[in-house]
Amino acid sequence: MSDTRDAAGELRRRGFLRGAALGVGTVGAVAGAGAATAALTGPSAHAATPAPAATPVAAQDAPFHGEHQAGIIRPVQQATAFLAFDVTAADRRELTELLHTVTDRARFLTAGGTPQALGITAPPSDSGTLGPQVPRDGLSVTVGAGASLFDDRFGLKDRKPLRLKAMPAFEDDDLDPAWCHGDLSLQLSAPHQDTVLHALRDIARHTRGGMQVRWRLDGFTSPPRPSGTPRNHLGFKDGTGNPDVGDPATAGKLLWVGDGAEPAWTTGGTYQVVRLIRMLVEFWDRVSITEQERMFGRAKDTGAPLDGSREFDTPQFAQDPMGDVIPLDSHIRKANPRTADTAGSRLLRRGYNYDRGMDGNGNLDVGLIFVCYQQDLERQFETVQKRLAGEPLVDYITPFGGGYFFALPGVRDRGDWLGRSLLA
Amino acid sequence: MSAESDTEPASPAAAPEPEPIAEADGEPGGIAAASPTTRSLTRRRVAPAAGAVVAVAAAVTAAVLAGGGGGHGGDSADGKGATATQAADGLPHTAIDVSTGGCGRGWGHPHAGTQVFDLHNSGSAASEVYLSDPKSGKLYGELEGLAPGTTRQMLVDLGSGTYAFKCLPEDTDAVTGPSVTVPGHQPQGAATLPVTQHDLIPPTLAYQQWIGARMGDLARGTGTLKADIDRGDLAAAKRDWLSAHLVYERMGAAYGTFGDADGAINGTAARTPGAVDDASFAGFHRVEYGLWHGQPAAALKAPAAELDKNVGALRDGWSQARMDPAEMGLRAHEIIENTEQFELTGRTDYGSGTNLATARANLDGTREILSLLRPLLTPRDPALPRLDSAVERLQHDLDAAGHGDAWTPLDRLGRAQREQINADTGDLLEQLAPVAAIFDVRRTA
Repeated sequence: MSDTRDAAGELRRRGFLRGAALGVGTVGAVAGAGAATAALTGPSAHAATPAPAATPVAAQDAPFHGEHQAGIIRPVQQATAFLAFDVTAADRRELTELLHTVTDRARFLTAGGTPQALGITAPPSDSGTLGPQVPRDGLSVTVGAGASLFDDRFGLKDRKPLRLKAMPAFEDDDLDPAWCHGDLSLQLSAPHQDTVLHALRDIARHTRGGMQVRWRLDGFTSPPRPSGTPRNHLGFKDGTGNPDVGDPATAGKLLWVGDGAEPAWTTGGTYQVVRLIRMLVEFWDRVSITEQERMFGRAKDTGAPLDGSREFDTPQFAQDPMGDVIPLDSHIRKANPRTADTAGSRLLRRGYNYDRGMDGNGNLDVGLIFVCYQQDLERQFETVQKRLAGEPLVDYITPFGGGYFFALPGVRDRGDWLGRSLLA
Repeated sequence: MSAESDTEPASPAAAPEPEPIAEADGEPGGIAAASPTTRSLTRRRVAPAAGAVVAVAAAVTAAVLAGGGGGHGGDSADGKGATATQAADGLPHTAIDVSTGGCGRGWGHPHAGTQVFDLHNSGSAASEVYLSDPKSGKLYGELEGLAPGTTRQMLVDLGSGTYAFKCLPEDTDAVTGPSVTVPGHQPQGAATLPVTQHDLIPPTLAYQQWIGARMGDLARGTGTLKADIDRGDLAAAKRDWLSAHLVYERMGAAYGTFGDADGAINGTAARTPGAVDDASFAGFHRVEYGLWHGQPAAALKAPAAELDKNVGALRDGWSQARMDPAEMGLRAHEIIENTEQFELTGRTDYGSGTNLATARANLDGTREILSLLRPLLTPRDPALPRLDSAVERLQHDLDAAGHGDAWTPLDRLGRAQREQINADTGDLLEQLAPVAAIFDVRRTA
């Protein structure tokens, strides 16, 4: 496998990139309904697709290039695929090629355009499932590194992010090793499932030799029912209490890594936790509404805290020290006690519902792909998780997989690539 | 896929009846001729319809083409659509005439970059269209079976250089249009030299001979297996079953030519309960099932004798077989597709746990056909070194699962080892797919 450089000095036709199938140009946003855009537009022309009214679900385009990966801050989209990969690249050079290839494909797929014409030399460079021109369609591609990437294989031992480790089993977990961990994480999110699957097919095609899927779970976000935050399979609004990471000060305190203790290459990245949580919905449906609401601490219909009347009312735990209104062991009270001491443990949730068929006992196999981002795994996710241990809700959910990853710093420009600061 | 060879211009919907190809018997070297654009060969060895009986392979090929081929029946509609949506793809379009008198007419403002030619056949016969470099003969684009009166698109990526359209109407000599120069200093897009049927005759003959030489080994192998079972030595039978089966699995590129015999020698049983006990389940896997499921020698005598008899018939008939040259490129790719689909899933395992040994034998077969195609491939595929290293890597990682006659069963592979073999196989397949594309047999005159 030899790298060749084209006139522009960019790596092309590298190891895992058989067709060097970089697409051509950028077709104007086709994401929005009726966007009959014709002209070629440059990569900077991020024709903003208007977000559908009354939905907090993302439909805006986010630029691929930036200090951070675009899919982290971005609100959840309608469709997602979350995958963990094991790297099969033989050495550091091949790992570098792999991440170059993933970057090239992500850059093309998120921009859209005409797939490369390969003439008679090869099968078509694109699957064509999105039509002859690939629409940008709001796709985001988010890549993370697991602790196992920092073992002996690639000489990265001394570069492991400070807090990164294999996800431990928590008290109420029933982890299946086949659904845990991985060298790399990849999340593809878009307004449409075909866009997600097209991107997955494309990236897999170009990286078969370099990485193999360890596990994969597809997810979706429900529309607001009838308004506000989308609901999970338990019928409750999920994600109401997220910190406002659009505020740079909040994001700097809770989200982005960049302080002195971490390896310098991690600046601009963040810790990603994914938990695959089965929900026992048949059992749940056999529980009274009062019990359900007291487990969450919120009203099922409006999503309001039990001491409020609207979804975004702030619960006043201090005025209810005995938990007469919102039980002390309710989910919202354990997860975020809203005290000065616990403010630093807040995290950014980006979860998706999943549905993967039936279980052997005849029950629906559905649940939550819980994804969250934070600056510090221990101060945030693990602290919250420990507070939640033994909460009444655990009888109705079974965490069975997931992992800890470090979401890589963003790709700053056309010359940059995912993992450059780690590997270069 | 093309319907060029057998579709009436006036009725682009594929004709159901096979039309024998005129020159089928006239080719030198005892090779079955196929349509120059034949690509819809039976691409599966396990498919029940794989029965391209040896002597009539070409005719059957034509039938498959007609029935399943290009789906060009909607050409007219597509043509109109192309005009209407011209601007929607954001690419420059140029209308080009395809006809004997005006081949390539319309290319007034040549420019570099990704672009679309809207090819309109104003002639009276279906035509193939190539965009070539008239000096090097490399092709930058092709369109097969452009029906009269229709317009279809050719997407190309052009750099600076000289190009000409070539129109090849059915049953008529090729016509090359005017040479057109794209100015500037832009790098050229993907292109390669076409492969003709004539080019493929020597490697096809050599491959037929190589298979012929393996036939003796195969017949000896099944004979030994039969003898083991006849004398009740099932331990020896297990060992000799594997070596005989691997001889067969190395002959991977020939299954299309073996036709129905392949089903009798190496077929599998349905997944339904009891299918393994059905009398129609025969061949290597039937014997494997018995040997690894505690069946007594007496129960295996008949299946082993039948296998040996069928192998003997295959060997005796091989001198009369004619391989279709168009199969060479396809098989170079598809042996490993079959490996991935049937061996790496364990679908063909009937108890021996030797799928990885089979995969390794299939890789040997791929290596053989690639070595015969290499003189043609070297000038045509700049990624050949990548392909070679992918072959080496898969071989290395498969060998790690073999210990003499003992092969790690699929379900005993550790996760990392399994992922590595999957990665190697997937990567190799991505490298092999262009080989089939390049060896799609093309007319040049």
